[in-house]
Amino acid sequence: MYSAFFVAWCQLTYNKVKLAVAAAGVVVAVMLMLVQLGIRRGAMDNSVAVARRVTADLVIVSPRTKTIFASAQFPRRLLYRVGSDPNVLAISEMYMGQGRLRNPWNKLEFPVSLYGVDPSAGMMELPGIERFTEELNDLDRLLYDGMSRTNYGPIKQYLAENGSLDVEVNLRKVRLINSIDVGISINTDGNLFTSPVNFLRLFPDRKPGSVDMGLIRLRPGADTQAVQDSLRQYVGTEAKILTREELVAAEIVFIRENAPIDFIFGMGAAVGFFIGFVVVYQILYTEVTNHLPQYATMKAMGFSDRYLLQVVLSQSVILAFLGYLPGFVLALGLYRVATKAIQMQFSMTVERALFVFALTIVMCGLSAMIAIRKVRTADPADVF
Amino acid sequence: MVDEAHNSTAQTAISTAKATPAISARHVNFAFGEGDLQKQILFDINLEVATGEIVLLTGPSGSGKTTLLTLIGALRKVRDGELDVLGHHLHDASLEELVEVRREIGFIFQQHNLLPFLTARQNVQLMFHLHPEVSPDDASRLTAELLTSVGLGHRLDYYPARLSGGQKQRVAIARALAANPKLILADEPTAALDSQSGRDVVNLLQELARGRGCPILMVTHDPRILDVADRIINMEDGRVHPGEK
Ligand SMILES: Nc1ncnc2c1ncn2[C@@H]1O[C@H](COP(=O)(O)OP(=O)(O)OP(=O)(O)O)[C@@H](O)[C@H]1O
Ligand SMILES: [Mg+2]
Repeated sequence: MYSAFFVAWCQLTYNKVKLAVAAAGVVVAVMLMLVQLGIRRGAMDNSVAVARRVTADLVIVSPRTKTIFASAQFPRRLLYRVGSDPNVLAISEMYMGQGRLRNPWNKLEFPVSLYGVDPSAGMMELPGIERFTEELNDLDRLLYDGMSRTNYGPIKQYLAENGSLDVEVNLRKVRLINSIDVGISINTDGNLFTSPVNFLRLFPDRKPGSVDMGLIRLRPGADTQAVQDSLRQYVGTEAKILTREELVAAEIVFIRENAPIDFIFGMGAAVGFFIGFVVVYQILYTEVTNHLPQYATMKAMGFSDRYLLQVVLSQSVILAFLGYLPGFVLALGLYRVATKAIQMQFSMTVERALFVFALTIVMCGLSAMIAIRKVRTADPADVF
Repeated sequence: MVDEAHNSTAQTAISTAKATPAISARHVNFAFGEGDLQKQILFDINLEVATGEIVLLTGPSGSGKTTLLTLIGALRKVRDGELDVLGHHLHDASLEELVEVRREIGFIFQQHNLLPFLTARQNVQLMFHLHPEVSPDDASRLTAELLTSVGLGHRLDYYPARLSGGQKQRVAIARALAANPKLILADEPTAALDSQSGRDVVNLLQELARGRGCPILMVTHDPRILDVADRIINMEDGRVHPGEK
């Protein structure tokens, strides 16, 4: 009836200030863990966003390509060979490069990502690009990513109001004919999309006849794995053939190995865990220490060590719950603020919510385990 | 006075336990420390307390009264001699058994040691956690009755911080009596109280114990309360001197 849990609840809630401090410690810990892990995931998702936009069944890349943001080229003739396979329905070339776009208002140049894709091929998810198939085949016509950062000037509004805008890309005069909303990433502040022909006009130094990526659409019903194996004979060692999933996986591996995303944000989460641990430990330890005579008295009256351990453990579980809920809500708010501020998508996942909840329980439980050792020192013979 | 259930169980306790004393110590020695640092405190203690008896333990400071009480209360292990309390052989009991024995004893300490974050009612009611055989309804009824009988019916939901010293000690007495103990051990329960509230507390204890036939062993220096005793035992330098009536 008068369970250890009830006693724990009374002990925790008796001093409201102390309770607030302890709960605040857990709130901060939960928030830090959720935000850091959320940013880690957001940054990761964001970095592979371009790879995820590929909707082709198979892709061809150079064996030297580690990431599509710094791709090596391979000979275009391989595409024609692959295209001769009966299982291949369509094939499309794709170019990517980093260029410079001059802000027409303040005349400053900023780096920008350029994509050269066949707008009507439908092998990459670039919403609305197919509507501009005709125009993009005209010389020096480009589409602007409406989600680009503002360093390039209010281009999106200008395009919406005036239809087109002449700008300078790679020191060459081109015309932006409209904007589509695609999205930027950690790697780029803005995107420009055009046809392969126009792309190559902007990069005159490129070796002719080499492409960054080949996109393959298979005949309906074809076995992707089997075709992937059989296509290898056409390209030999000059190129690799990957499935969509392999492309994304390779991108993730590259980021893991080359960007300190895991380390930095994992560290941030660990700091959160540690803060929570220390605060909860401190609170529980002083609670036990301050009540040692009372605990000894309870032992003298016949309460077992186990009962008192349950009291301390219950307190840690209560703190975990009291801290988790507000921490969770705050983290959701921060996700929203961050999404807006740095134009990167952060969202809560069930797995992360559960994972951090488990971490919170472990954090509080560990603190309790250590504080509990003090309970054992309460000697009932000392009470008289 | 308290309730019928309490009285009837007390009655049966008396009739069955009449033959065997509540406390029986034979040649008990006790020393603190180990090896060379060993210091013997109790020497050849022989002592009996019968059921229903109120025995006072007096003696100079440092004579070993508290130590003896902690042995009888199963708070320390007896290593030399034989000590039977409420039918348990404490000299060869495990820690678990000692904890069991403690549950049959009502302790009253010099310090009340109430849990500050529980109200008077909750402090008393906590004892019933050790006695799941008492239903929750009975437990809360008994708690209220006990606190009323120690004169705190109007302070049921007060936290200890808002009670006077005498009131806190009375809550502690209610707590000691709550689970219907078979023996009460008290160590200077009046030391922290002024003479009037000390007297009240002792009267209360005597009255409650008499009603239930529960034996009391009480350490005291207080000459004003010697009259409640059936017997007074004097201790000196770790030895018990023959009691007087
Ligand atoms: N935990 C301990 N370790 C070592 N020696 C102790 C311990 N507790 C008590 N003693 C010693 O045992 C002796 C008896 O102590 P005890 O507390 O039993 O005396 P007491 O009769 O209750 O005295 P008082 O009337 O002052 O309370 C003292 O000399 C004391 O120093
Ligand atoms: Mg003493």
